[in-house]
Amino acid sequence: MSDSEETFQASAALTLGIELELQLVKPHDLDLARGAADLLARLGRRKLPGAVKPEITESMIELNSGVHADCAALLDELNVLRKALAEEASLLNLQVSGGGSHPFHDWADRRIFPTERFKWVVERYGYLAKQFTVFGQHVHIGCPGGDDAVYLAHMLTRYVPHFIALSAASPFYQGEDTLFQSSRLTAVSAFPLAGHIPFVRDWPEFLDYFRRMKAFGIVASMKDFYWDIRPKPEYGTIEIRVFDTPLTLRRAALLAAYVQALAAWHLAERPHEPVQDIYLVNSFNRFEACRYGLRGELIDPYSGAKHGIGEDVLSTLELLLPHAKRLGCDALLAELGDTVRHGESDADWLRARYAKRSLTDVVRDACAKWAAH
Amino acid sequence: MLFGVLLALGLLTGEAVRRYLSLPRITGYVLVGAALGPEGTALLDGNALFELRLLVDLAIGLVVFELGSRVDLAWLRRNRWLFVAALAESLFCFLAIYAALWYFGFRPLLAAMAAAIGTATSPAVVLLVSSDLRSEGQITERMILLTAVNTMFAYLVVALLLPFLHLDQQADLGTALLHPLYVFIGAVALGAATSGLMMQVARWLGKDESRQFVLIVAVLVMTIGLAHGLQLSVAVTLVTLGLFARNFDRHHVLLPVRLGHGGQLFFVILFVLTGASLEFHALEIAAAAAVAAFIVMRFLGKALGLLIFGKPSGIPPGKVGLLAVALVPMSGLAVVMVRDTITVYPSFGRELAAVVLSAVAILEIIGPIATQFALRRAGEARPGQ
Repeated sequence: MSDSEETFQASAALTLGIELELQLVKPHDLDLARGAADLLARLGRRKLPGAVKPEITESMIELNSGVHADCAALLDELNVLRKALAEEASLLNLQVSGGGSHPFHDWADRRIFPTERFKWVVERYGYLAKQFTVFGQHVHIGCPGGDDAVYLAHMLTRYVPHFIALSAASPFYQGEDTLFQSSRLTAVSAFPLAGHIPFVRDWPEFLDYFRRMKAFGIVASMKDFYWDIRPKPEYGTIEIRVFDTPLTLRRAALLAAYVQALAAWHLAERPHEPVQDIYLVNSFNRFEACRYGLRGELIDPYSGAKHGIGEDVLSTLELLLPHAKRLGCDALLAELGDTVRHGESDADWLRARYAKRSLTDVVRDACAKWAAH
Repeated sequence: MLFGVLLALGLLTGEAVRRYLSLPRITGYVLVGAALGPEGTALLDGNALFELRLLVDLAIGLVVFELGSRVDLAWLRRNRWLFVAALAESLFCFLAIYAALWYFGFRPLLAAMAAAIGTATSPAVVLLVSSDLRSEGQITERMILLTAVNTMFAYLVVALLLPFLHLDQQADLGTALLHPLYVFIGAVALGAATSGLMMQVARWLGKDESRQFVLIVAVLVMTIGLAHGLQLSVAVTLVTLGLFARNFDRHHVLLPVRLGHGGQLFFVILFVLTGASLEFHALEIAAAAAVAAFIVMRFLGKALGLLIFGKPSGIPPGKVGLLAVALVPMSGLAVVMVRDTITVYPSFGRELAAVVLSAVAILEIIGPIATQFALRRAGEARPGQ
């Protein structure tokens, strides 16, 4: 495991793939269901692209796409998976929903999916493991080499507040309105190895850090880092992990397109070099994005100026336009820009559902939205 | 005073059998009831049972209502094989018991009646054991759904057989055909009507769990009273009420029912009194073979129906077996049904009644244990429960 982790398997630049953690819900009380094992057994008998995997508790299921050059193909493939999942789930009377958190489930009721790795996680992290029943989207971007991966990790950190605000879909947690647009990341922050990559310059320097952490006995593998953005040497990718799973598959594809275009811009033009200030402003920016979403503010580490997150996304989209055209995802980014301009977000949509006064209604509507799009 | 003693003894025994013998609490409640009942120390006599009738009716009402509300018609529409499996489970079970009783020489009409009564799984046992174990998953969900279907099936077949019993008793043809129709269809109509009323009121009340719970109790007590007054089948009325409330609540005004601590109270009383109503004296050596055949064929019928149609409905064969085991508990309602039938038709026969009542007595004890075993084995019980 360890040696293969130290070699960065080069992959075609800007290829992409995503992982989506989804909620399994019981129709009768709209609480989380215990259904992953039965569902996986049924899906395992079908010929499907990509992969479907268990996650830490039995109320979660993860869809993995294959590796794609463009987002349209990615979306097509995931739609095949989404439909297969819906068919099998309906036989077992389970519903599927997007969103970063289940609005009212009780974390203590969750059951750990019985694999060695998950059992170890529970043994190690106690209640944090069950509280980790939150649902995120991970985006992988292919990098030709380890140095590019390290560079992109630093560069994309500037945009973490964008990612959080654009995907935010967890305003409710444990039956309460948290007032946050994304409450999910708080569950991640509790882990001791959460945070961000250290300020290393290139792949050898990163490996040196990794080896020291291993020698201290703090980590056993790259998997033990719960960072917002981390290199994934065995895939040859950089992995962005701060997204809430959106309420629709389409939005998941829009987010992937955004990351792909950002990576394309940085690798092609290298508009900035890494500076420590990226990490000085990071926690403030991250909090603003979790709390206020697109209505929050961020500090630009390069200029020191404060911008509204929504406006900052829109001006970034302008810069990305030529690269998006080259990648063929300009239409998707235009669509993403429109939602920002109209002030639409999944978190606000969920809150609007709650105006009907019961969180069960929120879950029912979220399931219907996932099934329809 | 008596009520308090019943509760305390039931509670303590239930906890003791769970802790020391790892048996379901229900088994403890039933044992206490049997010990205190007319068959035991006779501390609980007919008078005492009568005084507690409102509580028992309400307890059964809540259980049957919840059972109805767990029937998801949309699931049956999407998963046709599940619907077929549910019908086959009921039908094969009915036929298997019928065959066993016919073999022992009971008159076909009476054997059919007893077989219909025996088809129903106990709603109270499956709901209480699954909530006690906090079990979740396919076996749990299907067990509850199949229980609802076989309970409805049992009442329907009993209603269909009644005309023949009437004719047997030389009633006129009109009464023979119309009365059972009235009992069943009237019950469905009453359940549907009260569910509509309940949703209207709930809409006005708003989404608050405790207010809605009080509303449900009020509607149940009224409906039980009405059904008694109109001489309709109470169980069918309440299953219909629950089923309509779940499936025809277009504006989603009703919140899911959670019985909570109050529910436990009802359950303890219900099972202690069920225990008291069991008739162990009916167990005779002579009838032992018939009773054993009744129990074994009942199980095999259920298992066969599920084995044939379980796989296309989406669960693997191993789990199908566990599902059949989970459905073993026989409904305490059978005691009521047998007694009712005997009052109207004495020709039902002491011997056949003895067979059914003995089977109930045995299955009240081993049924909860079977359900608990199945849910644990399927990995659906919460670890440590």
